[in-house]
Amino acid sequence: MLRLVLRRLWQGAISILGASVIIFVISRLSGDPVVMLVPPDAPPSMIAEIRAQYGLDQPLVWQYLLFLGHALSGDFGNSYRWQMPALQLILDRLPATIQLAACGLLFSVALAVPIGVLSAVHRGGWIDRIGRVFAMLGQAMPAFWVGLLLILVFAVQLNWLPAFGHGTPAHVVLPAIALGWYPVAAQTRIVRSAMLDVLDSDHIRLSRALGTPERLIVWKYALRNAAVPLLTMLGVYFAAMLGGAFVVETIFAWPGVGRTVVEAVFSRDFPVVQAGVLFTSILFVLSNLLVDLSYGLVDPRIRDVR
Amino acid sequence: MKSWTIGLAAASLAALPLAPVHAQPSGTLTVGLAAEATIMDPTRSSAGVDQYFFGQMFEQLLRTDPELKQVNWLAESWALSEEGGKPVITVKIRPGVTFHNGDPVTSADFQYGMQRQQDPKLSRFSHLLNAVESFEIIDTLSFRLRFKEGDGSFITSNLHLWAMPKRHIERVGEEEFQRNPVGTGPWKFVSRTVKEELRLEAYEGYWNRQHRPGVKNLVVKIIPEDLTRVAAYKTGAIDWIDAVPPASAAEFSKLENTSTVTAVTGNNLFLNFATHLPNSPFNDVRVRRAAAHAVDMDAIIKRVLFDQGERYTQVGRGTPGHDPELKPYPFDPRRARALLAEAGHPRGFEVPCYNLTTPREPNIKEMGEAVYAYLSAVGIRCQIRQLEYGAWINLGRRDAPPEMDGVVSWMWSHGLPGDPGTPWLGHMHSYQAGRGLGSYSYTDNPEMDALLRQQQTTMDPAKREELLKQIARIKHDQVLGGLPTYRPMVTIAWRTSKVAFKPWPGPGFWRNFQEIGLK
Repeated sequence: MLRLVLRRLWQGAISILGASVIIFVISRLSGDPVVMLVPPDAPPSMIAEIRAQYGLDQPLVWQYLLFLGHALSGDFGNSYRWQMPALQLILDRLPATIQLAACGLLFSVALAVPIGVLSAVHRGGWIDRIGRVFAMLGQAMPAFWVGLLLILVFAVQLNWLPAFGHGTPAHVVLPAIALGWYPVAAQTRIVRSAMLDVLDSDHIRLSRALGTPERLIVWKYALRNAAVPLLTMLGVYFAAMLGGAFVVETIFAWPGVGRTVVEAVFSRDFPVVQAGVLFTSILFVLSNLLVDLSYGLVDPRIRDVR
Repeated sequence: MKSWTIGLAAASLAALPLAPVHAQPSGTLTVGLAAEATIMDPTRSSAGVDQYFFGQMFEQLLRTDPELKQVNWLAESWALSEEGGKPVITVKIRPGVTFHNGDPVTSADFQYGMQRQQDPKLSRFSHLLNAVESFEIIDTLSFRLRFKEGDGSFITSNLHLWAMPKRHIERVGEEEFQRNPVGTGPWKFVSRTVKEELRLEAYEGYWNRQHRPGVKNLVVKIIPEDLTRVAAYKTGAIDWIDAVPPASAAEFSKLENTSTVTAVTGNNLFLNFATHLPNSPFNDVRVRRAAAHAVDMDAIIKRVLFDQGERYTQVGRGTPGHDPELKPYPFDPRRARALLAEAGHPRGFEVPCYNLTTPREPNIKEMGEAVYAYLSAVGIRCQIRQLEYGAWINLGRRDAPPEMDGVVSWMWSHGLPGDPGTPWLGHMHSYQAGRGLGSYSYTDNPEMDALLRQQQTTMDPAKREELLKQIARIKHDQVLGGLPTYRPMVTIAWRTSKVAFKPWPGPGFWRNFQEIGLK
């Protein structure tokens, strides 16, 4: 197990290094940040001064090596716009983003698993059809539209939940639904397909022949086996939600990393973009590692093979 | 419902309700802003939006009042004179003004503020004080500024200087001051959560007893998405809303229990033409005039901007240099086609047209597309190229490739009431590498250059006004330095039964809470 963890961590470190190169180069291809920081009549001497202040006058390779060296010690530089450490800006926003992504994932799984299981059990029946249509609705509606619709209905019309902001459990409900609804369809399909395979397997047939209650067969024996493919995808979904939450964060004025990074992209605030992307990469790698490790918990065969 | 428009009819402001002047303000008010400041220190600011926050806490010697007139503020009086052929400004500071920590404001605080503003490591506007030769403290409450040469924008920029608490910053250090700013303004800093909110408290020791907050606590929420901000207002989560989306402005003016005010902003949008390229068709003034006749700006303002824009001719109303006799070129597509034919383009021509897509102003992308459609209709066939802000501003600069080679939707801003002198030096003076002149200019006209440099050093307000008008007339006749399109307007709304609000520009934008209170 330790070898597996170390191997995954090594692979993760290579991935993060690759991500750092890509984001470093791409952000610098997008134009000069300094002209966005100075007034139109700024003399060239001032532009040169600011460029030197941020090390942007150095060769690109040297800039990258400096960035990497500092990043390893946790220094991502100061934000050009906020004039505060970029890492602090990201870390301060990270709990809000993790909270939103976790709640979004929880919502999607809480919806996808029962729909997927019931669809498989009642294959071809009306429950199967309704379940799939409901799940598809989420995939057919982009998150910004779902978000606005939720605000209109549950905040403006019904006045049940707040339209924006962060702080209380009530604040997370609408953003989590807006973020979590999109992957419901895909997760439902995964659960349904895995359940159909498992329900057709010999050990389930044997269990039925032995008179095991159907509820126990479906929700314990079959679902546990069918959970492996869903578990594989959960890591990816969680990471995708961390990185892709910026639309929902903007709509609900949620103070998260996604919104911070996207705004930094527009203002060419390289330190914030780099810190944000690297932290999302690290979380991506860690969540996938956790998923890999959790296989053994649900399926002893995998644990034994390792 | 009550609605006002500022800028179109500034005098109507006299009818606005004044915030009640409470002896001890109490209660809490929550307001919603669309954009967030990044910096809370006027010296370190790098974007206009920063004024939304520091404009509540810091003050200058002069400021603009709700009628867009410059008034003495922390300066009790000031005078412009001349010694040895060089300008001198003598300032007497208003007595009794204190910082939020209780320290009295003195000449040393303004001197210290100027030193910080002149430090290029701190300020991105340090060049604006290049003309100042020395700062002489006369006594605790008066000082003298000596200039190397005239600086035309110094007076219109409210004498540039900010009151900065010298003793406090030296005591707590720069970092702590950035975290907990201390100024003289009507609001003192309580806390800030980035991307979420700013909390302010009315300063009990505020010097201006007449124009001050009528509520103790102010919570400024940041809600960037238009429809969410509207929903927040409708659900009662906020009682004052900034930047009502243009499409909702009419609805808000009819909402029960809601007052609105629509005000012209300090931004001035225009089309610029690549007349610096030898083969550009826009080198011919007839082609530029054709473009001026080709666009029905009134229709665009009405349909695309939902009336949230004001036409202007070179200089907007209320701004130095405004000439009421100058009228926009009338929409006349037939005349536009005839001018193009006279210029040797009977079948028109194709040209790249660069459009800004980042929402710096509401519906700006759609506005640009509509303008380019009008140009195309008369024969200036636009190949529209959409640009986000970073790419757009890099394209516009003369000192770095790629070069702008067609038409670009551009803008200049100098706050409210503003002054066109400095922006014109940037986008109409011929480009001179290394001098900061014509950084965004595609115009090369020696007569214009001479006038622009003359206004740059003219401090006398009356002489300066005449010069700016003269420049505006030539600019208009020759369609030089671009074609003005419109000035965006902003609509602000608040709950009539709960909020008393009087809009103050502070200093360059309308998001200022000088006078806001609970009813």
